[in-house]
Amino acid sequence: MPLILIVDDAQFTRRVICKSLQKQGYLTREASNGREAIGLLDEEMPDCILLDLLMPEFDGWDVLTFLKENGYKIPVIVITADIQETSRQHCFDLGAKAVINKPPKPDELNNTLKKVLGFTEENTR
Amino acid sequence: MNLTVDQLDTLQELVNIGVGRAASVLNEMIECHIRLQVPFIRVFSPGKMKDELENRLGVSLVSAVRLGFTGSFSGLAQLVFPTDSASKLVALLTNEEVGTPDLDAVKIGTLTEVGNIVINGVMGSMSNLLRQHLNYSLPMYLEDTVEHLLSSKQLEPNTTVLLAQARFTIEQLQIAGDIILIFKLGSFDALLKALDRIEEGEEE
Repeated sequence: MPLILIVDDAQFTRRVICKSLQKQGYLTREASNGREAIGLLDEEMPDCILLDLLMPEFDGWDVLTFLKENGYKIPVIVITADIQETSRQHCFDLGAKAVINKPPKPDELNNTLKKVLGFTEENTR
Repeated sequence: MNLTVDQLDTLQELVNIGVGRAASVLNEMIECHIRLQVPFIRVFSPGKMKDELENRLGVSLVSAVRLGFTGSFSGLAQLVFPTDSASKLVALLTNEEVGTPDLDAVKIGTLTEVGNIVINGVMGSMSNLLRQHLNYSLPMYLEDTVEHLLSSKQLEPNTTVLLAQARFTIEQLQIAGDIILIFKLGSFDALLKALDRIEEGEEE
């Protein structure tokens, strides 16, 4: 099953997302800020990154910019409390594949992951 | 700066819409009905605002999450709970029992994130309606009296502020809280122009 890296400074949200993903059979790793997340890429490349925006030190915007400028092809789904349309568009401009607002609904998260990872009924048979 | 009655009415509705969105988000998280009261909204000096908030929220210790916002307009947004309500909410969200040491350990992180999500619900709704982008500070958790929540560091004594306060209640769980928005009126021109544009139905 795919490995999903969850990047969020809020332990509460990381726990909620991890539980939801693990129930669906995904493998998960966690990072509490952008700098930690970038460091983990050298250890093991995830299949997808779930990324918060507002974090101390290296925030979500910094991560998106870093990934884009360094040619990383890992799909990123932004999961954020920020519901502004302007922020959503900025995420897409920086290469995010999807934006989900907090609190993430399990079905929405799972369906978005499947879409981003290119899963279809045929692929999973 | 004086706001007209119409401008205050429009702002109240704007806050109402934002608080409605925030309640919806909180409802999703805890799966309980949230009862809202009509927001209170008025212009004050910082000193008088403190007195008003103490009258409304009391003088006991509260748990609060604060988010600063800047952009076309600036200020502070806070989600405030009496400490017992805060503990009940955290217990509900984390399945920990009220009063246990484990609950205390996760309380700050959980409340900070809940506050972040709820406040973003309020401010983001307003931002989208007004088409004015806001930048946020990192959310901060505080436990103090209402008087000390609003220290002089956040508000210069000679500025005028617009205070909006909205109470919500989760009756099923005996939890009550307040959403408090403080707008620095020195930054209000852009907000008022955006309000005018909405009322006139102007396209971008």
